[in-house]
Amino acid sequence: MKKISIFTLGLFVVLMNGCAGQKPMYEYGNYSETYYQLKQNGDSETTGKWKVALEDSIKRSNEQGLRTPPGINANLGYLFLKVNDTDKAISFFNVEKTLYPESTVFMNKLIKKAELMKEGKTKS
Amino acid sequence: MKQLIKYFLIPALAVVYFTGCGPKMITKGEEFPGMYNEKPRSLMIMPPMNESTAADAKDYYATTIEMPLAFHGFYVFPYEITADVLKQQGIYDTELLYNMPLTKFYEYFGADAVLFTKIKKWDTSYMILASNLTVSVDAEIKSTRSSEVLWQYNGTVVVDLSGGSSGGGLAGLIAKAVVTAVSTAAADYTTYAKRANGRFIGSMPYGYYHPGYLKDQDVKIIDQTPADE
Repeated sequence: MKKISIFTLGLFVVLMNGCAGQKPMYEYGNYSETYYQLKQNGDSETTGKWKVALEDSIKRSNEQGLRTPPGINANLGYLFLKVNDTDKAISFFNVEKTLYPESTVFMNKLIKKAELMKEGKTKS
Repeated sequence: MKQLIKYFLIPALAVVYFTGCGPKMITKGEEFPGMYNEKPRSLMIMPPMNESTAADAKDYYATTIEMPLAFHGFYVFPYEITADVLKQQGIYDTELLYNMPLTKFYEYFGADAVLFTKIKKWDTSYMILASNLTVSVDAEIKSTRSSEVLWQYNGTVVVDLSGGSSGGGLAGLIAKAVVTAVSTAAADYTTYAKRANGRFIGSMPYGYYHPGYLKDQDVKIIDQTPADE
């Protein structure tokens, strides 16, 4: 009987501490490490690694049912914009806007920029 | 229990550790009423102003400041993009912007507030047994509507960069010195910069995405206002 109560107590403690194992707020993965390396080198290799980290953050966040951290989708969109993949860029800017309405003004500016680039491409 | 540790024990320990004797305490609500009145939801990080001798301190700092601010509950504009846009506008020196009206940042980016940081010191000191990173920063959040200072922090943080212990004796000491050198390698630097940032941001009221949003007015922090003010 005593054993059971100790067990129950143990279980109780585990349950009560359940909140200590709370989900993290965001899942950034290797974001800042790869970002730092990008800043140091700025070559295609570090850009590629940063892109992988951004995609990984989105994947991990989705898997855990977390909101993707601020700026991740925007940064990914910006990478696509830099290589003239305007459609992908626009879709990521839109995701950022949906997740964070605070970004609306800025994302609309970037979307407009992408649309102008797209027009320029089809014209020429 | 977690709350108790978070709100009482850790600050209390920090107080004992950093000052030895009791500093003047003040609540977040009393110290930073502007944050609770204006309730900024989004923060734009300005390129740091660097007064330190370390040329790359700007990059170290800029790449690590976004995360702790986001975890504190703010929508943080993607620094890589905003810095790029500023550059395209010919803005390289944050110093020039500091005293200007900030309404432009509200109009162009939709930012509620702007974070200015000035890195005063960023030094690594190596010793046989340990190495330290000393970071001294002045930070300010300014409203883009009123250009008022909503939050500020001036402080120095010393981060111990030594790796874990690796046995006794001379061999152990040498091994540890090597570990220290390795752990201060650039790739790992961000971890320590992050740790330092985490401490700066402690006194900042929580942002919208944090569960503690508008609930931390009564949290006590160390009063940084000089005695003569």
